[in-house]
Amino acid sequence: MSRTTTAPTPDWLLRGEVGLCPCGCAGRRSRRGFVEKTLTGGADVVRQALFSDDIASRRGLLQRIEPRVKLLTMLGLLLAAAFVRHVPVLLALYGATLVLAACSALRVSFFVRRVWLFVPLFTGLVVAPAALNLVTHGQIVVPLGTWFGHPVGLTRQGLEAAAVIVSRVALSISLVVLLTLTTPWNRLLASLRVVFVPRVFVQVLGMTYRYLFHLVTGVGDMYTARTARTVRRDRDVGRGRAFVAATAGALFGKAHALSEEVHLAMVARGYVGAPQVLRPPRPRAADALWAAACVAVIIAALGVDRVFG
Amino acid sequence: MSSADALLAVEDASYAYLERFPALDGVSLQVARGEKLALIGANGCGKSTLLKLLDGLLFPDAGRYDAFGEAVTEDNLEDEQYNAGFRSRIGFVFQNSDAQVFSPNVREEIAFGPLNMGMATEQVEQRVDDTMAMLDITALADRAPHQLSGGEKKRVAIASVLVMNPEVLLFDEPTAALDPRTQHWLRDLIAQLHGVGKTIVVATHDLEHLELVADRCAVFSEEHRIVADDTTDRVLADRTLLRAVNLVHEHAHSHGGVVHVHEHGLHHHDRNS
Repeated sequence: MSRTTTAPTPDWLLRGEVGLCPCGCAGRRSRRGFVEKTLTGGADVVRQALFSDDIASRRGLLQRIEPRVKLLTMLGLLLAAAFVRHVPVLLALYGATLVLAACSALRVSFFVRRVWLFVPLFTGLVVAPAALNLVTHGQIVVPLGTWFGHPVGLTRQGLEAAAVIVSRVALSISLVVLLTLTTPWNRLLASLRVVFVPRVFVQVLGMTYRYLFHLVTGVGDMYTARTARTVRRDRDVGRGRAFVAATAGALFGKAHALSEEVHLAMVARGYVGAPQVLRPPRPRAADALWAAACVAVIIAALGVDRVFG
Repeated sequence: MSSADALLAVEDASYAYLERFPALDGVSLQVARGEKLALIGANGCGKSTLLKLLDGLLFPDAGRYDAFGEAVTEDNLEDEQYNAGFRSRIGFVFQNSDAQVFSPNVREEIAFGPLNMGMATEQVEQRVDDTMAMLDITALADRAPHQLSGGEKKRVAIASVLVMNPEVLLFDEPTAALDPRTQHWLRDLIAQLHGVGKTIVVATHDLEHLELVADRCAVFSEEHRIVADDTTDRVLADRTLLRAVNLVHEHAHSHGGVVHVHEHGLHHHDRNS
């Protein structure tokens, strides 16, 4: 009845193996290939998420605000940022986000880096041509030369428009970063219900986020297991691609098996297709105070902007 | 015990995955109210499949399964009242806690079952708080699953089932991959639950602590059949049976030049050295 193997241990396994090379460095280094870089990127996703969770659990001003209230007020501030047309007002609001970051246990230098890493990269490149007199006519304040006998340069009007767009984007990204860094992802997703995102969609998003970690860890384990058995670095890009494809296939199989088991675990506890969730906590006085302050800021910003003309 | 007296009764059930890979072959089993039963057998013998069948998660290709005096069929479980009644009376703790802990945080995970049972929100919140306090996981309430250790995930998985206060508890390899302290805690919890009248069915191949988790054992062969069904003492004493189903094996080693022959897989019952 027993199927335990009884084949003898092969001779080669009973003998010692001579190592391929003597231990010690020979001075020749090899670079990380695209497989390593891709998979290390996956590990970074987990690290970043854990870092964000850590910030969201700190004791700070925005961490104390109920996520639904925070989401709604941030949406209001984002709308206000979209309507404001003067740089000083936008800069004043941006200054307020720096104060909020400092009050929410965020290092201001980290917060500024996180925002300004993307602003010049994407927005700056897009709006830079708009500052040229070729696109926005007006008074040239920075001459850049001539083109077919015509003077080319940056115009005052173009630079003003670019400044408005860049500062508006910086403000908007700052608000979104503040929201996402100070709110745990699971609570942020749950708060989407307040803006009428369907319950089942929120549940699917939550489960996707939850199992992303599980599967990314699985990919990391597969790669580690491969690295542990790699004696010589494989420079063949084709084999690297084949490994990535095989990993993706194995991961797909794992994800499929896991999804079936998760479904069984849900059914076992009475799930019949209609997601049920706990009632979220009621907003408190501090939330009302925060909401009132945000409304006041929005009205003041729009009012001052109007005064500017 | 006749099938009519049994709380759960499986009769001549067979099941094959994808209609090709057999997992159960003519299995019959009765579970009485308040019993503490272990399903033991080697890896892949069909223990987990039988637990899923007992929980109405899969249905036999041949044979039948009755629970609480009613036939458990796919058709019956589509009936809302039957489904709610059945699911609230049987709880299943999966081997893979990662599959069972699927909600964004611990509190919502534990609330999932009672909410699906249609309990009032206040009652659900009270039960969730009580269960977390009982299992000492209140501090984990707002944690996401990826922030939990293996032992913590197992506690949350158990809490998510206990919160429904089911009559029957099914455990699939409950102590697998847990540290010794958590294993000890879990065995104590099973004993405690049995003490308050719960019916316990545990699938395991851990013979070392079998007497602590079961009074009766159903032994699976590697051919996916139940080949013995007796008290735990008698099953553990039957070395021929345990060797035949690949739960123990003989192993020779030496101490100070004296060669001993042990049966591995059954440490505290070793009397053959």
